[in-house]
Parts: sequence; structure tokens; C-alpha cells
Amino acid sequence: MVVLIGTEKPKEEGHSPTDVRSKRLLIICALGALLVLTAFVAILVGTLGPIGPGIPEKISFSEAVNAIFTDSEYHWVFWNVRIPRVLLAGLVGAALACSGTAMQAIFRNSMADPFVIGVSSGAAVGAAIAGLLGLAAIIGVFAPPMFAFVGAVIAAFSVYMLGSVRGKIYVDSLLLSGVAVAAFLGAMVSFLIYFARQQYHQLIFWLLGSLTLASWDVVQILVFPIVAGAVVIFLYGRDLDALLLGEETAHNLGANPEFLKKLMLFVSALMAAAAVAFTGIIGFVGLIIPHISRLIVGSSHRTLVPAATLSGAIFLILADTLARTAVAPTELPVGIITALCGGPFFLYLLRRNSTGRDR
Amino acid sequence: MASKSGSAFDWKVWMVIAIVASSVVGFSAGYVLGGVQKKVTLSIVDDYGRTVELHGIPQRIVSVAPSPTEILFAVGAGSQVVGVDNYSDYPAEARSLPQIGSYTLNMEVIMSLKPDLIVSSDLVPRAQLDQLEAQGVPYFIFATRTMEDVIKDLRLAGSLTGHSLEAESLVAGLQARINAVTNKTLAAGVEKVRTYIEYYPLWTYGPGSFGNDMIRLAGGANIASNASNEYPELTPEFIIAQNPQIIVYTVGPMTTTTASDFADRSGWSITFAVSHDKIYSIDDNLVSRYGPRVVDGLEQLAEIIHPELFT
Repeated sequence: MVVLIGTEKPKEEGHSPTDVRSKRLLIICALGALLVLTAFVAILVGTLGPIGPGIPEKISFSEAVNAIFTDSEYHWVFWNVRIPRVLLAGLVGAALACSGTAMQAIFRNSMADPFVIGVSSGAAVGAAIAGLLGLAAIIGVFAPPMFAFVGAVIAAFSVYMLGSVRGKIYVDSLLLSGVAVAAFLGAMVSFLIYFARQQYHQLIFWLLGSLTLASWDVVQILVFPIVAGAVVIFLYGRDLDALLLGEETAHNLGANPEFLKKLMLFVSALMAAAAVAFTGIIGFVGLIIPHISRLIVGSSHRTLVPAATLSGAIFLILADTLARTAVAPTELPVGIITALCGGPFFLYLLRRNSTGRDR
Repeated sequence: MASKSGSAFDWKVWMVIAIVASSVVGFSAGYVLGGVQKKVTLSIVDDYGRTVELHGIPQRIVSVAPSPTEILFAVGAGSQVVGVDNYSDYPAEARSLPQIGSYTLNMEVIMSLKPDLIVSSDLVPRAQLDQLEAQGVPYFIFATRTMEDVIKDLRLAGSLTGHSLEAESLVAGLQARINAVTNKTLAAGVEKVRTYIEYYPLWTYGPGSFGNDMIRLAGGANIASNASNEYPELTPEFIIAQNPQIIVYTVGPMTTTTASDFADRSGWSITFAVSHDKIYSIDDNLVSRYGPRVVDGLEQLAEIIHPELFT
């Protein structure tokens, strides 16, 4: 009789590993198909149309198809603005959701996500500093994202150093140190906004999150760290399940908790930083997508990680589509949309918890 | 250290290392990506010292801030503008052009307009302008801090759009009006009137800002001229201690301040300005839209500060 680590659903008991594996494959394929469908629809939505307000003019579906496949009038717009944007939304959503899943596992706390533990704020401060010093003119257009990445890694490292004692990570202190670092960095950004009024809009841009800088260059840069990070986290799925049972138990089951925590922290920070570096702080994706995924597919990380990653991509593509068409031609920062979703979601969680836990 | 089985553990670690290494390579590969080639027939330096190179006189200009819009229309290049930002409401013709967002630019609309030049103020986040440049559209920044800058910007706009003659005659007229003011206000022996100007309760124009320069040219002494930054928030204590002789507040679409508010502010009634009811308002656009209208603003401000020179 094989012991399956981490599966919570009672219905699973007695199912053979192949059944679980094929169910997992089914879920992942279904989500993958949904992602592709969402992406296709999103590519057809925008200020230009065919689904959308039509500024400066509204184009028809056939013109849109023409624009995508032939060198027609709006070919450039579709290939250099819309398609990279949808791809970026998918990548960033996937990165944040995957990163959040890993963080929730290692913190054993479902309130953990890259924003809460200060990684996103570190990236924002890095980008803000690069912007204020005008480094883009000196080093190049990728100076702010480079600095954002460095800022995020420094933040993650500080959180790690503050939250560990003699190299051993205590998750309670880690979470608190994350909150402290996030608060401090948030204050720094506010300070910068206050004293560099000229750069106000630049900084607000970073704080609210926006996918407006999407381009093929950005997609090319991000696809490696994000896909690589997601694969790494997936590979350690079983170990993450073991970790959820407690560190002693995990150790006895053969996982290496210390190494695992460090690795997951590093990889999650890398993914989150890569995302934030180009888009600013987009909150709540790393928090609510893992939750929702857990409700649907359970807590087994070998299923949960791919499910959350794909769901995160779908979610952010939808949120960004709304952000760029709701009040066109003005763009809403996508962070506002995700926050608007986050609030009611937490109310729902609160209600669910208070009327009884076991479902 | 127990591990599940020696070989499985090692395999995973090596795989992780390989994945991380390749992602670092991929990440840095981005910096090797090259720029866009341009044919140069017109080369102008903008207010940030950036050399902007164009194929020819731009015919499809998108302005992403209201001040550049006003400048372009003023020098006669209005017909070359194909898109403006949400706040570009002057002149009236600008309002009928397609809008492209504001501060956060709508890349899709901008690119659909097929622009050959973007003009911007220095408040628009550079990352977006750089992004447009990477897509092949150059951008030109007008950074205005003083009245002299406005004159210079009008000339630059003229050269940029092939309207140099029009720009020169416009500039000549404006400079004459400016001189008519400053010959009186900056003459020897004219008192520098202590002025407090407010664009939002307690927020004023500090050193390095356009408003500060305008007060100087109008013959005033800005009480915030030694403040810590360009747009400081002052404390009521400081304002009262400075005892302004004149208070001016700007009026825009969001303004709720009225002249009588100042007397209601606790402690302000002992200032010269409040006790002698020297409280005036000025249209916000005449102070913050850096185009020909600021000369109207200067004339109005000078009359407020030195009524005795302009009757």
C-alpha cells in the first residue's frame, strides 16, 4: 500500500498512483487549454478593437485577423503592443502565483506572498532609485529592472537574515521580518515620492503596477527565470508537501527542510523580482490564486504548483484586459484590479473560516 | 542528513543548478539586444540634452502632456499633431484629437496613430517613452523651469516642426510683453513684495520651480524661495512668521479654496495679507501650462503684486 504524502481529500484514499497522476494531468491540460483560450480572446480585446471602445478607430474581426497574420495596417500594433502584453500578463501572473504557492508552503502560512514578505517592495525601491538617478540614460533602458531585481534580492536576503538564527530559519520570525522589511521599504518609497515630486508619476507607476511596458524584449528576458523557477518549484513538490507536516516530520520523511527553505526562498524571490522589475507591484495574485487552486485541486504540491501557475497566468491576463479597456484610453494600473479582487476574496475566506473549517 | 535515495537527491540538485544557470544566462541575454537604426535628416537637442534625430519634419506628432500641446499649437504646428493626452484641453482644436491616456500612456492607441515623434514634459515616466523609442518612435522632452525656458521651448518647437519663422515672431511678441513687465518690476528701487502663492492649501512653489521664477519676474519675493524642494508643503507657522504681504491662490477644476478661507485659518489673521485683505486668485493654467499663456499669467501676477506700476 503506497502512502501518498500531502493529499488531503478523503476521496483520494485507496486510489492508485496512476489514477492520481492521470487526474493531475487532466487538470493541468484543462487549465493549459483554458490559458490558451484566454490568451487568444485577450489578444482580440483592446482600445483598437475588435472587442473594445475603438480609439482612434474601431476595427472589425476580419481586420484584426488580417493584422495578425498579414502585414496590414495594424500589424505592428498587434505584434508589438498587444501580443507581448498578453504574454507578459501570463508570465507575470504565473510567476506571482507560483512564487506565492512556494512561500505559503515554506512559511506554513497562507498569508505569505512575495508582497507580504517585502520582495515586491524591494524591487519597487530599486526601480525607484534607478529612475530618480536617471540611470536609464547612463546604463541603458534596462537599468530600472536591473535595479529592481537587485532590490528584490536584497530585500529577500534581509528578510532571511533577520528571520534566521545561526543559519536555521524560523518561519514565524521570517514572516514577521518580511512584514517589517515590507513596511520599511514602503516608507522609503513614500519618502522618495514626497521629496522628488518631479518623479511622482514615475514612482506611483511602480507602486500600483502596470503592464504598459510590455515588449518582446521584456518577454524574452522574463521567460527563462519564470519558467525555470516554476519547474524547480514543481520538482520539489513532494518535499513541500512533507514540509507542511512540520519540520521534524519532514526531516524524518527524507526531505531536507533547511536546504528546501533556502532554495524555495531564493527561487520565489527570483521569480517575483523578475516580475516586479518590469511591472511594478502587482499584489494579491500570489495570495489568492494559490488559495483558490487549493480549493479546487487540493494541497498536493505536484498538482497544486502547476495548477496555481496556470491559474495565475489566466487571472492576470483577464485582469490586465480589464485594466486596459475599462476606462480607455486611460489605463488603470492592473494592481488596482487585483486588489479589488483581493478584498472580497478575503472577506469570503473570513466568512468561510468563521462558519466552520471542515469542508 | 538522510535523503530519500542518494541518486534522486543528487539528480534534483544538479537539475536545479542547470536551470538556475540557464535562467541567469537568459536574463542577461536581454542586455545584448540591440537598438533601432534611424536615418537622420534633422537633429535637435531637447531640454534634457538628448539629441533627437528625425527622418524629416514630423507630420504625425503625439503629445503626451498638456504643455507641449500648447507649445506646438502656438507655433502653428497644430495640423501636425495627431494625438494628445487626456489633459490637453487648450487650444480648443486639441480637444477633438484622439486621446492617448495621461502619465500612464496607452501604448496601443499611440502606436495605432503611427507617430513619427512624441513630445513630452518631464513629468511623464521615462520608461514608457524609452519603450516607444525602442519601437522606433523618437521622443523629445520639454523641461520648463523658467520664463526663459518657455521662450527657448517655443523656438525649439519651431525648429522641430518646420515653423521657425512663426515661432520667432511669436517669441518676439512675447518677449516684448515680458520686458514691458520686468522693466517696471525689476527696476532699481522697486520693493520686492513678500508673496505667498498656493496651488493647494499649504502647498507652494519652491526654489527651482516655474512659479518661483514667475514671482521673481513679477517683482515679488517668494516666501518659499529657500524651501527644501520644488513643490514644498509649508507649515502654517512658517507662513505666518514670514508675514506675506500678498497671498495668491491658483484656481483650477479641483480647487475649492475661496478668498475668505484664509481669514478662517487659525492664526493667519495677523498677517499683513489677511488683515489688509490682499488675497487674490489666478487661473491655474496661466501658471502651470508652460506655453504662451504664462505671459498672460505674468502680466496678471505683476498687476496683483505691483498695482501701483500698472494702472
